Amino acid sequence: MCLGIPMKVLEVDGFNARCEAKGIEREVSLFMLQDEPVEPGDHVMVHVGYALQKMTEEEARSAWEMYDLMLAAADA
Amino acid sequence: MAEEARLWLERIRALPLRRRVRLMNVCGGHERSITMAGLRAALPRDVELIPGPGCPVCICPEEDVYEAIQVALHEDVTLVAFGDMLRVPVNVPRGEARSLEQAKAAGADIRPIASPQEAAAIASSNPGRRVVFFAAGFETTMAPVASLLVQGAPENLLMLLSGRLTWPAVAMLLDSGTPGFDGLIAPGHVATVMGPEEWQFVVDRHGLPAAIAGFTPASLLAAMYSTLRQLLDGRRFLDNCYPEVVRPGGNPTARRHLAEAMEVVDAAWRGIGVIPASGYALRPALAARDARRVFPSYADASRKRAGEMPPGCDCAKVVLGRIYPNECRLYGKACTPRTPVGPCMVSDEGACRIWWSGGVRDNPAA
Repeated sequence: MCLGIPMKVLEVDGFNARCEAKGIEREVSLFMLQDEPVEPGDHVMVHVGYALQKMTEEEARSAWEMYDLMLAAADA
Repeated sequence: MAEEARLWLERIRALPLRRRVRLMNVCGGHERSITMAGLRAALPRDVELIPGPGCPVCICPEEDVYEAIQVALHEDVTLVAFGDMLRVPVNVPRGEARSLEQAKAAGADIRPIASPQEAAAIASSNPGRRVVFFAAGFETTMAPVASLLVQGAPENLLMLLSGRLTWPAVAMLLDSGTPGFDGLIAPGHVATVMGPEEWQFVVDRHGLPAAIAGFTPASLLAAMYSTLRQLLDGRRFLDNCYPEVVRPGGNPTARRHLAEAMEVVDAAWRGIGVIPASGYALRPALAARDARRVFPSYADASRKRAGEMPPGCDCAKVVLGRIYPNECRLYGKACTPRTPVGPCMVSDEGACRIWWSGGVRDNPAA
């Protein structure tokens, strides 16, 4: 459950954001990041529907490389 | 494997290790990355990677799962829980529901969820019905649960909380005198929320090297290199190999929410026992939402093996890093992901389940 998913912020509406990863969109709570500005285009580490922290696009990409590997292993 | 990971691997291979070194990780996500990327086979023979207490589902007290099953069966409620929890077995006489999944089959209204917000949404759309959120998890999961409560959840949403803090289990291992490891790979997302400082005690009090790692092979290998290098150089410090999201002090908002909604209490870990100041409980101000206060306790002192792992199951030793998953007699024999006996084979974060997914099929114990 500690496995966070890096997602890209598409739209911000108050404490909620529509985020995207791998073509899948999800509603994500920004309530734990309320003291930091979060804007469309930002990347966030999401865990159980909550953004834990902001991250750079490059960091998000390297995390996704790992998950691709895991998804491939899970499909095998 | 990415170029950066290869570089770290080469650096590790170049280290003049002269004895066996055991590095423990305490995060199911770390163990999954290590196993799926095949890091054990890639590392020098003298480096042992031990999965430790990193699976909240595995250490969730058997009594709590039993309580959740009974509440779902006997109270007029909808019970929601993270999907993993539904298949965790408890010790009951034949014929009784031994998991939430079986209680659901017996007619209880039990639903799997993936987020605390889903629990709130189910409560919102069923205003006349009490919804009990059986929430097990470490700090990474408890902070969102606390956030939901601080932000304001529907009044008919009750909590059956089974949250735990990760560092006290490591402290318990270190205080035992036989920790079974020489260096610690500390959990990246726990440190993201709580701050890296929580792990400083490993260095200061116990003189062991520690490094916080992320979840890519590169970040994990960097953390391993750091701890190995510290051992060789005779230096000790807490390294942060996941600076992308792990910042000093962690996420202050998340910590504030945790402190506002929950208090830290002594708590039981399945197969391990009570660890001081290692659990989360709802604050008295939230008593009206606390399923433990609202409903009578279903604890049954005469129930056989209450609190224990199932018969023959070595999950307790696996969780403490005393044995590897495939050193359990049941691994891959009576216990597989299809027919799990112990919680470590149920949860996606359980070491047994991860090793099985990673293709480990041999069992030297059987």
